[in-house]
Amino acid sequence: MNPTPDWKRPVELSPDALTDPDNSDSKPQISPVSAPREIPPALAQDTNDNPPDEVPVRAPARKRSRRWLWGALGVLASTAIGTEVYRLISWSNDIHPLLGAGFAALTFILTCALGIEVHRGLRGNRQLKQVHALQQQAQTLLTQSSHGNSTRLTRQLGRQYHGTVLQRELQSALQQLDSSYNDQEIVQYLDRHALSQADTAARRCVQRYSIESGVLVAFSPWASFDMLLVAWRNLRMLREVAAIYGIASGPLTQGRLLKQVLQNLAFAGASELSLEAGSALLGSSLTASLSARAGQGLGAGLFTARTGLAAIRLCRPLPAQHKESALPRKIAKSIVQQLTARQNDTL
Amino acid sequence: MGLQDTLKTLVHKSHLSDVSRHLKHRIEQGLEQRVKLAVTGLSRSGKTVFISALARHLQQSDQGLSLPFFSAAADGRIIGTRDCSHESAIPFPLQTTLAGLQASPPHWPASTDQLSEVKLALRYRRSPGLGRMLGEHTTLYLDLIDYPGEWLLDLPMLEWSFATWCRQQQALFFASPRLEASREWLTCQQQLDWLAPADDTQFQQLAHTFRDLLQQLREPPYCLSLLQPGRLLMPGDLSDSPLLNLFPILTDLPANPDQAAPDSLYSRLKSTYYAYREHAVRPFYEDHFRHFDRQIVLVDCLKTLNRGEACFTDMQQALNTLLHSFHYGHNSLLRRLVRPRISRVLFAATKADHVTANQHHNLDRFLQLLVESAQREIRFEQVETHCLAIASLRATSAAQAKLDGQYLSCLRGHRKDNGEEMALFPGEVPVELPRAEDWNSERFRFVDFAPRPLPVGPLRPEHHIRLDQALEYLLGDLLQ
Ligand SMILES: Nc1nc2c(ncn2[C@@H]2O[C@H](COP(=O)(O)OP(=O)(O)O)[C@@H](O)[C@H]2O)c(=O)[nH]1
Ligand SMILES: [Mg+2]
Repeated sequence: MNPTPDWKRPVELSPDALTDPDNSDSKPQISPVSAPREIPPALAQDTNDNPPDEVPVRAPARKRSRRWLWGALGVLASTAIGTEVYRLISWSNDIHPLLGAGFAALTFILTCALGIEVHRGLRGNRQLKQVHALQQQAQTLLTQSSHGNSTRLTRQLGRQYHGTVLQRELQSALQQLDSSYNDQEIVQYLDRHALSQADTAARRCVQRYSIESGVLVAFSPWASFDMLLVAWRNLRMLREVAAIYGIASGPLTQGRLLKQVLQNLAFAGASELSLEAGSALLGSSLTASLSARAGQGLGAGLFTARTGLAAIRLCRPLPAQHKESALPRKIAKSIVQQLTARQNDTL
Repeated sequence: MGLQDTLKTLVHKSHLSDVSRHLKHRIEQGLEQRVKLAVTGLSRSGKTVFISALARHLQQSDQGLSLPFFSAAADGRIIGTRDCSHESAIPFPLQTTLAGLQASPPHWPASTDQLSEVKLALRYRRSPGLGRMLGEHTTLYLDLIDYPGEWLLDLPMLEWSFATWCRQQQALFFASPRLEASREWLTCQQQLDWLAPADDTQFQQLAHTFRDLLQQLREPPYCLSLLQPGRLLMPGDLSDSPLLNLFPILTDLPANPDQAAPDSLYSRLKSTYYAYREHAVRPFYEDHFRHFDRQIVLVDCLKTLNRGEACFTDMQQALNTLLHSFHYGHNSLLRRLVRPRISRVLFAATKADHVTANQHHNLDRFLQLLVESAQREIRFEQVETHCLAIASLRATSAAQAKLDGQYLSCLRGHRKDNGEEMALFPGEVPVELPRAEDWNSERFRFVDFAPRPLPVGPLRPEHHIRLDQALEYLLGDLLQ
């Protein structure tokens, strides 16, 4: 017989021995044990209370090298603008105090607006970073069938999206997590059930903007403005998608998001999307009837769709598990339909 | 009597209506609108509970609450479910079973002694995409049968001659632990003259002794599974039938069987064996076991852990033997119409609620260990298989206790035997086969729990463990 077994003995406990690890105030209430038994309610607690093992999340390497340069430039520019504005106010004050006060008020309002914008932008940027970290965490958990490691993720989800549009659905999904789910199942559950409203809204938004920009390009008489048109629609779309996923969106966030989206698209290469949509259309006789201009419209629409899907991938707190196969095809189809319909009208 | 009525009676008498119904079913099955799901498991592995829970959850699946990982239900695509079991001649007693589980105090269903059928019709909306071209709404008919698990082990006998069967049984009975338990029976057999004429009373007495021996082997401390013939343990409608006077010859078979008197033990046993095969086993197989599309194999791993290595190997052998009676492979359309094969198999470790949640993964792996060779055979036919720990009906809730300054996850439930509340840390499920010396009685304590009362109203995910994932794996692609 083995003197020191490497397994834990079974223990039978009296039900009253169950104790309450009292640490449940800061976390979302997950899966309350529903057993109205004779034991005092204080003894019942749930199993997801295990202190979470730290999930190693590699922080993205910061680029510090250029920071000081931008900082110096910023200081220089703000000093220059500050002195210039000060001179403007004092000069107008010399002309008439009322004019001076007017300019001062204008400056004040502008500064406030700028401050708010910057604040929002910073918050948006921070949120984007957090989303990235969450996604990475979820990705790691998806490969594990361990237990209890996802507490950190669920806690962060609950906290970070507190007070945003996602809060309601997320909270109710977090509450319904079953105590028997392992980490992988928890992420899968949340992926399916915690974001479905936002997902639908975001997909609808992308679809709308894609069709819109496709049609706009196809029918705008000025070919040289195509780029501008598409850029304008795309920026609007980015902002809306970010807002749908509870990310504070201002021009700053938009810019950062755009940068990431473009990076994303560039690295994706000839992405699955264009291939998909192309193959979906090749078979259809619809393409045959498209004029060259309409073809450009289709291209613009598909580009917008790609941008939109990339934006969704970046803003969604959990990595999207199911492939978006239906959406590009649907978008391509409705663009072509709209184009042929209008072409037939004009003929 | 009008002509129509006469025709109707004629059709009825000639079983033509049966034929047409049969044909309709086969065409539906060919078009994947009718699925026959084989619920396979040895006795007490949880078939009846699984079928009842499945039917109950599917009945409520239009509410989309209790099966979050079953996408058709979670996406709200199921419009409604109808229980069509009454169309069957032998309907499954779903209401009685559920009433027992909903009663206070609730109780598990009694062990099954008859074959019965469940037929469910699921009306659902197709998921958006190409399938919509076939129409938005459609119906899936799901057929399941429940039967005593003991009968399952008779199926392999269909391919064995009497001599083969006897040799198989010899191999079993001359190995531990059967050898120790059946010493008396073996010496008794050695004293018999197989070829001499024997009278009825002697024959019957021997048969009864063998039946008692089988019953003894099924109970603790042996808890063996591979016990043939199965009808001796669960006769069903054959009780007191002469077909049950059957036992294998465990000594060397007579060298010159042609000299056996017609009423000798040898001749009697041989003819009873073939009669048993034709009248007890074949109808069971032909009528119910030929046309399956999908299969779930329920395995009670915890019993083997409680009982030790002999029980483990025996169950492994029993599963391997009986899975040979099923046909696996892919189906072409024609093949589906003529004779479908099982195209997807799920191995499920039942009663996962007897272990703490952090052990479920280990239970998966332990199950893999148990069914490894069976799984390999099935995969050879390029059929998908998967292992999953499930609980059709959750009898415990998760809890935690502080013990020696450490938090220990444990289970809270009510004992099956006396209904007392208990909290238990049942031990850890090993992921490798324990060595013989590790397999001692102190290592595991998986006690049977009484069920928690099933609500009459809506069920929730907490009433099962991974039943939805099992369903998604087995049926998900058919409900697209
Ligand atoms: N805790 C628990 N026990 C179960 C479950 N399923 C079956 N059992 C136990 O296993 C016993 C046999 O189940 P049953 O369905 O009758 O097995 P069958 O012989 O294969 O039909 C039941 O009486 C229960 O004690 C389950 O999901 N959870
Ligand atoms: Mg049963």
